[in-house]
Amino acid sequence: MVVDSQQVNEHAMKVAKKLGVEDAVFLSVVGSEQMVRFANDSLSVSKRIEERVLSVYLARGGKRIVGGSTNVEKQGIESFVERLHKTMVNLTRDPAYVPLPKGARKFTRPSAHDEGLGESEKDVSEAARVAIESARSAGAKRSAGAVEATLAATDILTSSGTVGHDVGSSILLNIRSFTDANASGHGLSCSSTLKGLDAKGAGRTAGEHSKRMQNSKQPSEGTYTVLMSPTVASNLISLIGSFASAFSVEAGISYLADKLGKKVASPSFCLTDHGTIKGGLGGRSFDDEGTPTQSTRLIQDGVLKSYLHNLGTANRFKTKSTGNGGWIEPNPWNLEVGAGDSTYDEMVSSIKHGIILTSNWYTRFSNYRTGEFSTVPRDGTYLVENGEVTTPLSGLRMSDSLERLFSSVVLLSKQRQWIEWWEVDEPTLCPWVLVEGVKITRAYGSSP
Amino acid sequence: MVKDSVKDLASLALSEAERLGADYAEARVQGGVGYGFMLKNGEPQPSMVEDSFGIGVRVICGGALAFGATNLMDRASVKGLTAKTVKMAISSKSLVKNPVKLDRSRSVKQKVVVPQKESIEGADAAWLKKLLVDIDGRIEDGRDAGAGSSVKIPNRIVVASSELEEKYFVSSDGAEVEFITPRVHFFAIMTAISNGEAAQRIVQQGETGGLEVVARLDLANKVQEEARILRLVVAKATKSPTGVMDVLLSPELSGIAAHESVGHPQEADRILGREGAQAGESYLKKDSLGTKIGSREANISDDPTLAHSNGFAPVDDEGVRATKRYLIVDGRITEFLHNRSTAAQLKVRDNGAARAVGFNREPIVRMSNTFVEPGDYSRDEIVKEVKDGVYIKSFTEWNIDDKRLNQRYVGLEAYRIKNGALGEMVKAPVLEITTPALWASVKARSKRLEFEAAVCGKGDPMQGIPVWTGGPDTLLGGVRIGTR
Repeated sequence: MVVDSQQVNEHAMKVAKKLGVEDAVFLSVVGSEQMVRFANDSLSVSKRIEERVLSVYLARGGKRIVGGSTNVEKQGIESFVERLHKTMVNLTRDPAYVPLPKGARKFTRPSAHDEGLGESEKDVSEAARVAIESARSAGAKRSAGAVEATLAATDILTSSGTVGHDVGSSILLNIRSFTDANASGHGLSCSSTLKGLDAKGAGRTAGEHSKRMQNSKQPSEGTYTVLMSPTVASNLISLIGSFASAFSVEAGISYLADKLGKKVASPSFCLTDHGTIKGGLGGRSFDDEGTPTQSTRLIQDGVLKSYLHNLGTANRFKTKSTGNGGWIEPNPWNLEVGAGDSTYDEMVSSIKHGIILTSNWYTRFSNYRTGEFSTVPRDGTYLVENGEVTTPLSGLRMSDSLERLFSSVVLLSKQRQWIEWWEVDEPTLCPWVLVEGVKITRAYGSSP
Repeated sequence: MVKDSVKDLASLALSEAERLGADYAEARVQGGVGYGFMLKNGEPQPSMVEDSFGIGVRVICGGALAFGATNLMDRASVKGLTAKTVKMAISSKSLVKNPVKLDRSRSVKQKVVVPQKESIEGADAAWLKKLLVDIDGRIEDGRDAGAGSSVKIPNRIVVASSELEEKYFVSSDGAEVEFITPRVHFFAIMTAISNGEAAQRIVQQGETGGLEVVARLDLANKVQEEARILRLVVAKATKSPTGVMDVLLSPELSGIAAHESVGHPQEADRILGREGAQAGESYLKKDSLGTKIGSREANISDDPTLAHSNGFAPVDDEGVRATKRYLIVDGRITEFLHNRSTAAQLKVRDNGAARAVGFNREPIVRMSNTFVEPGDYSRDEIVKEVKDGVYIKSFTEWNIDDKRLNQRYVGLEAYRIKNGALGEMVKAPVLEITTPALWASVKARSKRLEFEAAVCGKGDPMQGIPVWTGGPDTLLGGVRIGTR
């Protein structure tokens, strides 16, 4: 067993160079994940997953191949690299091939992670207990959820001599409370450290919504002003982050294609991707190609300023990599939506005829190229009439296009929250977002 | 074949868990080698090779369930993992209010080997690339599209993958099962554009088996036909009618509706609340068996034993023999999908629906191949009975609420039906309907039964598991159609 990650990388590099490979990148990731899940206020399962994965990029004679292996024994590394090489030489030249940059870099990052999250069995159980009790105190009859702590160290070695080591940690708490069949509430707390986790607050939010949602009604179909919580807005904004990938643009699966320099959102809307950011739940100081990560302004004052690039897409777009590789496609690291200047209360007061959404799921697109989608609100959902929250709502669907929706943003809150959960893959720092003119529908057969 | 040294590690985990006091233990070694290839707008992307292997250990101690997984496949690491897993279970007991019990399903000793006529090992990156170059060329070439021949499909992602999965499962209840499962999967997303109009089609196909799967699926011709239709959608489709009318669902639409609004709400773990914070619960309750939910024409099943199916799982990942499940019979809820825990809670026979997508995931209740049972008519006979309606043949956007009561399917290829005949192509008809309204409106089903491949998401951490969705042409009488 080769235990040290850089030793794994060095051994793999030795094998690759012996085979005559021109470009090579090895990424060794050692990670642990500790999770508890609960349902009906009872712990349903505890989980611990420990993995060590070697990811490999090889290029020779304009041919490329990528791979991942969980076998990091010395012999396993040798046979995997040899297999990749053998497969690669049988391929034809890849016209999109771009050589790795020459020159060695060394990446280190001041420690921002919480080492304790690697062995956090007691902490995740305690967070679950606190959240369940807090939800119950706030009115929940029962709660379900999960607490997940991860610690992952990544080491990179490239054939140009670039080396790097980066460690990240996060703890995510997701709780959903119920009082009756149509009355549920959702609470989240996400942090890069245990200290930053607010289990009590997440439980309280879930419990309070589950209480307020009792005796919900179905809304009339029509057009509403909609106030999206950070959880709901992040679900859509993390998708915008993926659409900003130059790969998505080239593949025709992005409504942001052909929009560089054009207006794609309201003037108040700014979106940035950060390789690393204080409090960020993901990210690294280097990307998979050994390019330094950076902060990239994607949308500035409503105008699309940049796509996310790796070396290959940057070459085709005649620009520089933004440090978002991805050997095949660039991806966002941590998304940040610029804060507004409104309070939550001011936003609610400004609504004449609207709906507050606090959680959603199952966002699906009719067409990624046009950005037309619908999503299903769930948990705390409320009708607002003349600035007053009046009636809890259920059984509705929101249908729109991303460009129209974010071009109709009228207010953003000062307060922002980090969101990452089952329905938000990319960590997103997000405010409450108030949008006008949103189509709301109901299902045929539903009772009024 | 799973190596003896690997089987020994699974046995080691079992004996170690029992030695440390586990009331129940199981070990599952799972992994394999997979190849993948992608063309983007005709350009090859770096080919992909995955070699993944590891062990997952699950134990119950005093009603507390714990799961541990690692890919460090040496004796010390497996022993260490098992010890941590038992310790997790024991130390979590104080937070367990509803102890986990398992039913006494008969444990299976079996070897499940999916037959291959042509070895999957031939499907390396070069083979996959050749397949995709042919398919991509057919998508791009629009000469057969008639009125749509001027419509371009400039954006195309086509991906093919092959995998040979090995799995070995042992439990302290005496189960010992070895699986060898070759698999082929194909995915495409193509975007047709003309005069500012754009339409997109996602095609997924997949089966268990060797390279013969590609020929059996008639993949190249099937995708070429999808491209032809996509061009016609852009060139010819006119505004969809709206209002209450008859709607004929194709096998593709019948299948997605069966999966979303019958299969999911009848997963017993959802009914019992275990997925409440993620995939949600169900509109059904523990005592909903026997409830009338649809017309007598509503008959929906889930069958993990279908040969070469994408969801083939004749023995589940708890070592229980899987059986065909009759979810809705003549409009009544008749059976839920179970694992050993839910079967014990509801005091019914376990029908073997526990599946885990990899060594690092716990087995949970999953669908396999979910479908509307075929009927007695031909599609043409059904169309003849419709005076005014819409035939929805394929869909794009879809979703459903987390109780599985309020669903939406947006048509892509769709036609007007007038006076018993298929008419012009219509654009984006929207069927947004409750589950009872949908299944109560079923008036007739055709004889033909066809399947689509899909990857179903559930669990935390997420597990995307291969399934089939399917059915016949299914006629819904008098339901509302809207438009985007």
